[in-house]
Amino acid sequence: MSSIDSLAQEFGRLPGIGTKTSARLVYHLLKGPKVDLHRLATALSDVADRVRPCRVCGSYSDDEVCGVCRDPSRNAKVICVVEEAYEVGAIDRSGMYRGVFHVLGGRLSPLDGVGPEKLNIDGLMSRVGAEEAGAQEAGAEEVILATNASVEGEATAVYVENLLRPFPLRITRLARGIPMGSDLEYVDGTTIAEALAGRREMARP
Amino acid sequence: MVLRELELRHFRNLGVQELRFPPEGVAVVGDNAQGKSNLLEAIYYLESFRSFRGAGDGQLGAFSEDVFHLRAAVSGERPATVSAGFDRKLRKKKVTVDGNDASRIADALGRLGAVAFSPADAGLVSGGPGRRRRFLDVVLSLNRPGYVKALQEYRRALVQRNAALRAGSGRAAVRAWEGPLVTQGGAVAVLRQEWVAAWADAFAAYYRAVSGNGAAAMEYRPNLGVGADPADDASDPPPEAARESFRRKLDDGWDDDVRRGSTGAGPHRDELRITVESGGRRVPVRTYGSGGQRRTAALALRLVEAATIRRQRAAEPILLLDDAFAELDPGRSERVMSLMEEEGRGQVILTVPKESDVRLRSMSLARWRIRAGAIEA
Repeated sequence: MSSIDSLAQEFGRLPGIGTKTSARLVYHLLKGPKVDLHRLATALSDVADRVRPCRVCGSYSDDEVCGVCRDPSRNAKVICVVEEAYEVGAIDRSGMYRGVFHVLGGRLSPLDGVGPEKLNIDGLMSRVGAEEAGAQEAGAEEVILATNASVEGEATAVYVENLLRPFPLRITRLARGIPMGSDLEYVDGTTIAEALAGRREMARP
Repeated sequence: MVLRELELRHFRNLGVQELRFPPEGVAVVGDNAQGKSNLLEAIYYLESFRSFRGAGDGQLGAFSEDVFHLRAAVSGERPATVSAGFDRKLRKKKVTVDGNDASRIADALGRLGAVAFSPADAGLVSGGPGRRRRFLDVVLSLNRPGYVKALQEYRRALVQRNAALRAGSGRAAVRAWEGPLVTQGGAVAVLRQEWVAAWADAFAAYYRAVSGNGAAAMEYRPNLGVGADPADDASDPPPEAARESFRRKLDDGWDDDVRRGSTGAGPHRDELRITVESGGRRVPVRTYGSGGQRRTAALALRLVEAATIRRQRAAEPILLLDDAFAELDPGRSERVMSLMEEEGRGQVILTVPKESDVRLRSMSLARWRIRAGAIEA
């Protein structure tokens, strides 16, 4: 196989990229200056060589412990549990969260052969019980279960919550309801029901 | 609603045709195996995006074609153009409303407001409980916002819980599914309960009217306690009562569930019980009813379905009658037709093998002929 074909084949394995797009990407790269190609190649091999799961939270990092977990300005006593590493960024970009994260690496789905043993749940347990372990973060005060609002995400949250119960912790779940900027009239009944169930007192000015 | 135009491309044996329907409707006359039912199936496909005969999407296209496409323009309370296409090779279905892709098919359901009456409906009554649950699911999906979503999430939680049971992953990993299972299953049971309670009297009245003087009843026999049972604590609102009853049943059935590798409790075990009066006793029509009683009960169910559309969507339903009275005696079939006329003056699209089978108001309907799939207006 020619080197063009083998690169096209590699691109074609990426999500959302078909035969045509992968060929177009290869020819686009060939047209550009060689430095660009080398830069891309270096970036790729750096990712392959350096990136690994953070020892603490399971997110991706160049170091043994990721930047978020090392950041002293963050509150290590509040742990936000997410399904996938890319969700860390989504929550961080909100600018409202100053705690740390824990990445499960998926969600329960026995249909796809994903049981609790395939998720990074033990890691979470040892973080929560870190007092006994004598680690630098002396146990957690709150765990926020930020799994998705799907059937699988919900079940994963319930499972983790039951394991966390014995610890003296505040266990919370992300609120669900009306998206910002939307008209009530177009919101589906299930979402409105959730929003009603989770309504709260208006804060007094 | 009124079906104005229908464009057919390679659906069953109907080829490529464009039809314009009169607002009062039409009687389609043709011999057997010419495509009469296919035409009604095509129309109803644009209501529910499934075959009312239970055929899979892959069986609906013409034999030699990979893709079929249907488009209908309806006028009335909520005018719309609805289209559906299916590619057998890609196994992909595409549904649009007014030219916009429906991101979820649930959003496009029920735009025609049609009800299909077919001779196969007798199976609704004589078949297993699954047939009647499907009937409830279709009626509620088309008429109650939120039902489809609750049902889909319930089914998903159910298959996941069953998979967890079979994977032997332990009680905690199985129990994790019970949150969504109980919430969505409770919602499904309550919506079914409400619908049956709202329409039980109408069902009995339709049965009496069609049969002449017979008595029949439909009642919801939920697998869960939905709070209608006086023994249940009536102080709980129905959804909470249903959820509580569901949780109890799951706990009680744990050993059986593990042994079987599946979930024994829940609305997937509901029954819509239909009984007829016979010799002063109420007996299930499914096992003890005569052929005529079953057909009449099935007709009454469809009439209730039409009445639901009339009330819930404030629209006159389009009645699709597929040789529907073929097996009824003349007295009954005339009573059905006059009943339909009393109820509303909606559009009627009916198929009959012979001209002489067209009765009552339908006698004034325009006649179309169908031969080998080709329709002549």
